[in-house]
Amino acid sequence: MNAHSRDSEALHSSTAATAEEAIALQEALPPLTNEDATAVAMQNTLLTPRFYTTDFDEMDAIDVTPVRKEWDVLIGQMKADPNKGHFKKNADWDDVDWDGMEPKLKAEFIDFLISSCTAEFSGCVLYKEMKRRGSNEDITTLFQLMARDEARHAGFINDALREAGIAVNLGFLTQAKKYTYFRPKFIYYATYLSEKIGYARYITIYRHLEANPEMRFHPIFKWFREWCNDEFSHGEAFALLMKTDPKLTQSFVNKLWIKFFLTAVFSTMWVRDHQRPAFHKALGVDPKWYGQEVFRKTSEISRQVFPITLDIDSPRWVRNLNRMEVANIAIAKGRKAGGLGGWLTRMGGTVRAGLAFVSLLTIPAVSNEVPQNPRLEPAY
Amino acid sequence: MGLILREKETAPCTVTISHRFEELSAHVRFDNGAVIHPGDTVEVQGPEIMAPYGEIVEEKRLATITRASKLERLWTRSTGDFEFMELCEFSFSNEVMS
Repeated sequence: MNAHSRDSEALHSSTAATAEEAIALQEALPPLTNEDATAVAMQNTLLTPRFYTTDFDEMDAIDVTPVRKEWDVLIGQMKADPNKGHFKKNADWDDVDWDGMEPKLKAEFIDFLISSCTAEFSGCVLYKEMKRRGSNEDITTLFQLMARDEARHAGFINDALREAGIAVNLGFLTQAKKYTYFRPKFIYYATYLSEKIGYARYITIYRHLEANPEMRFHPIFKWFREWCNDEFSHGEAFALLMKTDPKLTQSFVNKLWIKFFLTAVFSTMWVRDHQRPAFHKALGVDPKWYGQEVFRKTSEISRQVFPITLDIDSPRWVRNLNRMEVANIAIAKGRKAGGLGGWLTRMGGTVRAGLAFVSLLTIPAVSNEVPQNPRLEPAY
Repeated sequence: MGLILREKETAPCTVTISHRFEELSAHVRFDNGAVIHPGDTVEVQGPEIMAPYGEIVEEKRLATITRASKLERLWTRSTGDFEFMELCEFSFSNEVMS
């Protein structure tokens, strides 16, 4: 870190007393120009977030009156910012032997950090856009607070990456980027799920390493508990938003959408985690056990607002997840091989992955009686 | 806005990049109030912008907005929802590492 950053420590957003102050501090720091940029001989990783638009009028029309009491408590907690002092390196951040790390593990772990950083960053971009374009004060306050947390998480991961000699590159800003579109209700389903599954993923690893500290090969895992509490409260906010309009979770079509989102998110996580065998081996975690454990926690939490949960104990569930995983390896092989043979392998894999997904989707869901008051506290 | 043809326009913008321990973020704000619609493409003109570590950088730039045609906008509105997986931390690359 250079001198300037040490100066700015005094104005560190985590030392601010209120959320407004923290946000103001983040925004009031003196702008500098590119000339100050120092060239660092680091491996560059281009972050590639997505950019979204949505129906901002529809979002502005949200009325949180039906959940006002719970809403104000939650926003009050987020403004109080209990984690503001958490994202600092202290004596717990022990030295990492990056050079001594087995190359395959290092590659997978770095991929894990980069994908986490990108997800936090994409969340930040999305939330900030909502904040900027909305005019409903309840909603813009929420998005501002969530953008604050995501930017903080991204900064923390970025620091861990820098220790590994990886510099993120934000050059995507000067590349043409297309804005895609998200219907507001899909923002609720998808972000609710991504926040809650994020919580379940982090806390499961944290608890596992608490019981098996010798497997903790990097200090960042020690920060996962407080970190995932941020994810948890973001999810709570979306649960309350969905509660403002019963149609969002109770209509026939929307129930199908919820099932689709659950299946897509769970199966993607399964396939993706199986692509990091060395990472899971080093942690002493079987990805199949981990997947089911995370699905179980996420399902249990999602009963606060979703009228269905997936039947993850059905024999068809793991069988078809495994099929998807195998098909995905074929797709990757085909892509690598290229040519007509590669194309055929890829297409074969795509068809099999699609069939496995349809089979997962057609497993009957378990219906769930949603409680009147959805609020939960992190309990795992 | 044409049914098939895209149109280009230029808008002044402010790019803010925070590359600090406590915040990693990057945002583009249009200074003339230009609004982005589904399917539009935005490109900030000029060289790449990057803040040195520990700092926040703000620059005034021009951005080229390529407006999506009517058809493209319709298409993006009806298919964009399927890109939601980006928000999950486990969905970044398609590489199979094994």
